[in-house]
Amino acid sequence: MIEQKRQVEKIREAFNQEFGRFNNLNTQNLSLSEAETLQKELGEIRIKHTGKKSEISGLNKFIGQVAPEERAEFGKLIQSLSSEVSRAIEKAELALKTFIENIKIEREKLDVTLPGNRPRVGHLHPITLLRQKIEDIFVSLGYAIEDDREIETDYYNFDALNIPEGHPARESQDTFYATHGFALRSQTSTVQIRAMERRGVPIRIIAPGRVFRRDTPDLTHTPMFHQIEGLCVDKGITMAHLKGTVAEWLRRLFGKETRIRLRPSYFPFTEPSAEFDFSCFKCGGTGEFEHERCRPCKGSGWIELGGSGMVHPNVLRACNVDPQVYSGFAFGFGLERMCALMYSLDDIRLMFENDVRFLEQFR
Amino acid sequence: MIISYNWLKDLVEVNLSPQELANELTKVGLAVEGVHQANDDFVFDIDLTSNRSDCLSHLGVAREIRAITNYELLITNHKDQKPKTEDQNVVTIQDADLCHRFTARIIRNVRIAPSPDWLKKRLEAIGERTINNVADISNYVMHELGQPMHAFDFNKLAENRIVIRRARNGETIKTLDEARRKLNDTMLAICDAEKPVAVAGVMGGFDSGITEETTNVLLEVAYFKRENIRQTSRKLNLTTEASYRFERGVDIENLIRASNRATELICELANGEAGEFVDVYPTKFVPNKIQSKDIQFAVKRLTGLDVEKNEILRILNALGIQSKSETIYLSPSWRHDLAIEEDLVEEVARIYGYDKIAEELPPSVNAGEYQPNEMRKLHLRQTLANLGFDEAINYSFIDTHSDEKFELIPDFVHENLDEKFISLKDSIIEGATRMRPSLLSGLLDAVRTNFNHRRRDIKLFELGKVFSASDKENDLPEEKELFALVVTGSETLQNKAMPLREYDFYDAKGALESAANALNIPALEFKTKDVKHLRKGQSAAVLFNGKQIGAIGRLTDEITSAYKFKQPVFVAEINLQVLLEAKEQEVLYKPLPVFPSIVRDVSLLANRSVNFADIKQAIEAENFELLRKVGFVDVYEGEGMMNNERSITIRLEYRSNERTLLEEEVEKIHARILQNIESKLDVKQRL
Ligand SMILES: [Zn+2]
Repeated sequence: MIEQKRQVEKIREAFNQEFGRFNNLNTQNLSLSEAETLQKELGEIRIKHTGKKSEISGLNKFIGQVAPEERAEFGKLIQSLSSEVSRAIEKAELALKTFIENIKIEREKLDVTLPGNRPRVGHLHPITLLRQKIEDIFVSLGYAIEDDREIETDYYNFDALNIPEGHPARESQDTFYATHGFALRSQTSTVQIRAMERRGVPIRIIAPGRVFRRDTPDLTHTPMFHQIEGLCVDKGITMAHLKGTVAEWLRRLFGKETRIRLRPSYFPFTEPSAEFDFSCFKCGGTGEFEHERCRPCKGSGWIELGGSGMVHPNVLRACNVDPQVYSGFAFGFGLERMCALMYSLDDIRLMFENDVRFLEQFR
Repeated sequence: MIISYNWLKDLVEVNLSPQELANELTKVGLAVEGVHQANDDFVFDIDLTSNRSDCLSHLGVAREIRAITNYELLITNHKDQKPKTEDQNVVTIQDADLCHRFTARIIRNVRIAPSPDWLKKRLEAIGERTINNVADISNYVMHELGQPMHAFDFNKLAENRIVIRRARNGETIKTLDEARRKLNDTMLAICDAEKPVAVAGVMGGFDSGITEETTNVLLEVAYFKRENIRQTSRKLNLTTEASYRFERGVDIENLIRASNRATELICELANGEAGEFVDVYPTKFVPNKIQSKDIQFAVKRLTGLDVEKNEILRILNALGIQSKSETIYLSPSWRHDLAIEEDLVEEVARIYGYDKIAEELPPSVNAGEYQPNEMRKLHLRQTLANLGFDEAINYSFIDTHSDEKFELIPDFVHENLDEKFISLKDSIIEGATRMRPSLLSGLLDAVRTNFNHRRRDIKLFELGKVFSASDKENDLPEEKELFALVVTGSETLQNKAMPLREYDFYDAKGALESAANALNIPALEFKTKDVKHLRKGQSAAVLFNGKQIGAIGRLTDEITSAYKFKQPVFVAEINLQVLLEAKEQEVLYKPLPVFPSIVRDVSLLANRSVNFADIKQAIEAENFELLRKVGFVDVYEGEGMMNNERSITIRLEYRSNERTLLEEEVEKIHARILQNIESKLDVKQRL
């Protein structure tokens, strides 16, 4: 068996010689390509020294030459060499593999703070966004949305709204007149009349739309702006319904704690008339926000939003509605002003400049 | 309107602090915008509604306080003198339709001098300028009692008398502001025996005014027809404190008191001696009779408030509204805004308190509804926004510079009219002279605004109305809703500076196609067409159901350079109304194909006059069996091509519904298709 043992030793030595540089391999100073080359060479060593065709496997054919009583011992000897070689290779392989993986992970490491690939989306105009919110609220309250002409006859812009010729509101300088004496509607109340003519009563509508006044543009005025007009006519409608409705939609928009108040006022097309204010959404009506005078309400705790009242009997009569049988309320307010309040915007002219830096701030 | 707290206390008992009073006044409709301290006094800045001319004085506000607090007004005992109503030769009213009442008081031996301090202080507290004792007194009485008045230098009146008549056409007067004004016969003039000495209710004459030399004064206290004063004030473009009050209405029954009050003060402070007092009152005050069958019920019916009858009557009475009988109420002489039962309801409700009105929702009768096409429009807007377009809203009016610059949507403007467009009369606002017939000028202005802020990658859209004159006489103008968009610059990702690629025609076209898709209508068609504002060869008509509804393309260099744009700008504008009128397409499920399809890409060398649509239609026209789809792959032009050539690659898709196709059978049809188009069109397969 001595001869055979020598064979085993020879193979071991040959392996050790070839494998030598992988013993206690220090990967620290390797480059990736060196490591990959080593990995490849190690693969060749593995093929050469393990597997069926390797020299170690070849030792098995000597078993027959060994004395039967020594065969077990010889077998163990081969076995231990085989596993010694495998272990050594595996260890080196693992070291290389871990090293290469780590390098690769390091190299492919992403900067996760770079911006994601996101197509630039556009933005709806803040007026559209706010109008949509308010319309949704009113539709859920059983109102129909209406709109109509922007250029009107004097009849719809004035007469039918109880502003007869000679009335100061009619002679005021703020109505735009166009070719052939038509007027650019100066309030969306014109839609009240057209809608009542079309739909009759009972009626519940809101009418959002553009209106025009001859105001020179400044921080708080533009010659065109948007109004939302509301109208509810039925048997038994009172100012309590007006107050309740205004309170309801403002609460849905600004939260449950919102309070509203009506103040006596004057409009030709309503009697009694009222302006409606709501408790400031920012300071909750205290007039103070973060120990400073609250901006949207100018420290008063109240925000003045619009005009309202019970539809004037002359307006009902103009639409062939009997004011003895029916009563109704109407209200109106400006969307630009509301937007300006909600977003702390101090120059409403920006609404119509379409500066993308402005538009993209709204969602 | 500025009101002094101390002054009010001379007229009515007040047991409220200035702030409390401000709150109470606001609650009844006299909106106090501010309370400011002025030395030992407080002043209220009250924003009055136009119907409440009766509150343009301390007396008026005091009356409101009476109604709120129920305290009586403090009546001071003046040495009142009864005027002479006949047998006088000082005042003649010729046009009684415009001058309803005129009183004149002569005060002699007046010494014009500065006012005493107390009077100056009062006037300065409410922001009034002081001039001299007589002028200050008339101003003071106006702010106290609401009645404007005018003092003439009696010696300067020809024949020492007053004639109230319409001015004659061509008559002129130099008013106190030293402007020479032309009068005409629509205006009422206060004249002496010869000429106008004042524009009635608006402004006195310069030559007959009070000077330091004045010794004898004629004090005019009068009432003029409101509408006439308003007209005159408009025509002369002259608004004064007097005209402001006269045109809104003063208290015709308060003239004697006002005259006596002023006379008393002039005698006291300017050493005057009261002389003749004349009152000519041809148009007697008649109170409005307001019918109310059941005022309590009316209050309940309109406001929901339960107010006791006694309280209602107390409020009305405190406001000077007398109940003449159970059903008839008389409006006081100082109120010009009370005519119907609803007016009384408002008076009761505002004093009783709007804050006592309950909050209720009206009983619901109908389900709510959006406008017929509203959801589709919202979908369109949202789709465009998702494609990176920002929504613009431009003014409906533009200047005239864009006239004839853009080709307008078809069948909109009546070309035969002299005035095709809608112009605004004397608009005063720069750039607001024309109602826009196109959305494009607004969008391009917006592009320029953004360029000015160094924003060069822009996609904007707008939905809005355009306007043109009707071809039927006296008809309202045409209003049409359009949709327009503009695309320029490069595509970029959010927060990434490096542009991906430059926008081109097909970005604008794609957006338009997406818009139609969002409306769920059949696809738009595009046909090459020359369009005025678009570059030749890069413009197309947009058609829907075979009819042109707008145009799309790249702006001409002429327009881009006029706007100072230094990059290509693509625009589209279409008639949205036509699309919205189209029915939404029904969605029907088609069974999914069971067998796989075979796809063949073919590159064709084509003459540039051959469009993709020509090729597609030529193939589809033949209804080749098994051919399911003619698709587009790409276009190559440039190197290796003649100037009039390009290579266009199309994709043909074959499929059978019965079996898996074999290559050989597809090859046969494919060859036939190629042969067919090569024979019909100027194209050749590139191998
Ligand atoms: Zn606030």
